[in-house]
This record gives sequence, C-alpha cells and structure tokens, in this order.
Amino acid sequence: MVRLTDLHEAEATHMRARANAMTPVDPAPWISPKPLAEAKIAIVSTAGLHRRSDVPFTPGAVDYRLLPGDVDFADVVVSHISTNFDRSAFQQDPNIWFPLDRLREMAADGEIGGVSKWHYCFMGAQPNHQALEAAGEEVGRLLAADSVDVALMVPV
Amino acid sequence: MLATANEPTIDDYPIEAPPESGAGEWACPVSFPVIEDESITARLVAEVTRLAPWSAETRATRGRTLFGVTGASPDQVEVLARALGKLAEQGNLHQPPEVGIDWKFDMPLLVRHIADDLRTFYHEAIAAQPGPGAPNHDALNNWIFGGTALGDALQAVAVHLSADANPMSKLVRGLLIPEGYFQGGSAFPNSPAFGENNPETGD
Repeated sequence: MVRLTDLHEAEATHMRARANAMTPVDPAPWISPKPLAEAKIAIVSTAGLHRRSDVPFTPGAVDYRLLPGDVDFADVVVSHISTNFDRSAFQQDPNIWFPLDRLREMAADGEIGGVSKWHYCFMGAQPNHQALEAAGEEVGRLLAADSVDVALMVPV
Repeated sequence: MLATANEPTIDDYPIEAPPESGAGEWACPVSFPVIEDESITARLVAEVTRLAPWSAETRATRGRTLFGVTGASPDQVEVLARALGKLAEQGNLHQPPEVGIDWKFDMPLLVRHIADDLRTFYHEAIAAQPGPGAPNHDALNNWIFGGTALGDALQAVAVHLSADANPMSKLVRGLLIPEGYFQGGSAFPNSPAFGENNPETGD
C-alpha cells in the first residue's frame, strides 16, 4: 500500500492535517455478506472518472457519475484535480483505478457471483466528507435497487 | 476478510508496492533543442509536433487515449499547445482562449485541465518510445519541468495564477504543478486560511 512516507513531505504534512481534522464516522449496522461466489459487485471510485459526454467534475464536487458495466475504456476520461499522483499507470491500464476487467474475469471464473450493470464515480480530494452524505445514500439506494451485494470502494 | 469479519474491520494490506528498478534514471530519447529567441508557444508547438507520431502510436496500440478532458480532440493537440503558450505569454486568466475548442471548463480551472491534457499527450508519447522501462513519477516530472517547453509554460502560467487576485487562481496554481516542482514555492503554504480553501487531499 502507499504510505505517507512515499509522498512529498509537504503533501504528507498536508494530508496528516486533513486526516486529523476529519470528523469520526459512526460504524453502520453490521451485515454479514453473502459468499463472494454468490455476490453481485459494483465499483465505487473516487478517481473522478466519467464518460467523455458527461459533465466533468469540479473541485469539491459532491455529485457522482455513472459508468455502465459494459463501458469502453476509450470513452472514459479523468477530471480529478490532483496533480501530485502519477497517472501513467492508469493510462497504461485503466484497471489500476477501475478494475472492471478483473471483476469480469472473476465473474467468468465463478469467483464472484456477478458484475453490476452500473458503477459509480465520485470526485476525490474531497475536504468535507460529510458533504457527500446525501449523494452517498442515494448511490446506496441505487446499488440496493440493482441487487448489488458488495461495493468495491476504490479510493484514488 | 469478507469471510471472517463479524464487525466493521480495517486491515492493513500486507503487500508493498514493488520497487521501481532504474526508472528514476529515465531520460527521454527525444531531445528538444532550446533556441533562446523562440517564444514559449513556438517551442511548445515544436515539441508536440516532434512527439505527435509517438503519441499516435500509443493511441493506436492501446485503442484509447485519456487526452480530451478539456473538450479537445486528439487532432487538436497543437491548438491546445498554442492555447497554453498564449496563456503563458499573456497571462489572461479570465477569458478562455478562443481557439476553436468547445471548452468543458471555465477559467481559471480550464488551465488545470489544459495542463492535464498536454501532460497526458506527452506521457502517451514516451510510452511508445524504445528504451528500458517506464519512468516513475519523479522521472516524469524531472523531464517535464527540467527540459521541456511544456514545463516552462506551466511555470509561467503558475506565476500568473499566483499574481491573480481571484482566490480560485491561487487554488488552481496549487493544482497545476506537482509538489516540489514549482519554482515559486509549495502548493501547501503554512497557512490555515489556505488549508480551509484547498480541497487537495489526494484521498
């Protein structure tokens, strides 16, 4: 995993200060998940990904974009604002940030029950996580309505 | 963990990223001779012209590109370079460059994404070039900000953003150049007021 010591000292100091300023979030009620081999999985990413035709994200955006399960990565762009992280690996293989092909392979191999028809992307670098509450609950309702059992959270 | 946890659980992922062997010593095989009396725009256009065949090769190989978040199409990279050059030379941060691109962002945030599209173009170009290994983050930044007109243009635009009274320009300045590479200082100055306005947490 990436550690603060991997980052530039100024960036690491800033992120420590941000983390210390965050308000703790109470745990949600525990739900025993289905076995993965029976679970339908959706990706929820904060990489600021969206389709070219979508309205791009702006700094601090608290809305989200849909990525369909059959999306072609050629139609996906990034409007995440951070400039401190290397994007060349994502350019090489979008699964680095959005492991849709890996989920498709796992579904084909029977390791997971299925892949959701829809996946969801938020803007990262969000200074006020409480501002995301309404959109987060909305996505939760959409996932439930789509019979998704597991959300794979991919913070970027 | 999914199979064994019976309450909310946080576990460290035990696998560390592999070390990058030699990528930090990477050097771009394509050189861009600096001619002192050339404008930033002229140098920038010369660079993208020299890199265009390589970038096209990567697009063809991958069948996709991340270029275009600004609204520019892949065949408009020179137009985009001219737009950034104009911003670097004239510092007009309040009107989007009128170059025939249907911009998807307002100024000054557009500047941030013009930089991103051009960096994507450069990264995709070097991905096709022969040579050992892919450069790491530091090697890429050392190249962009130590030897390209793109780096010089971004430094010049960053100075304009720093001097602008609009708080959004200060924010965009912090998002334009990776930490440690802006010649004018840190994107995270030791100021509580700045921190309150800066969404750069990189979560």
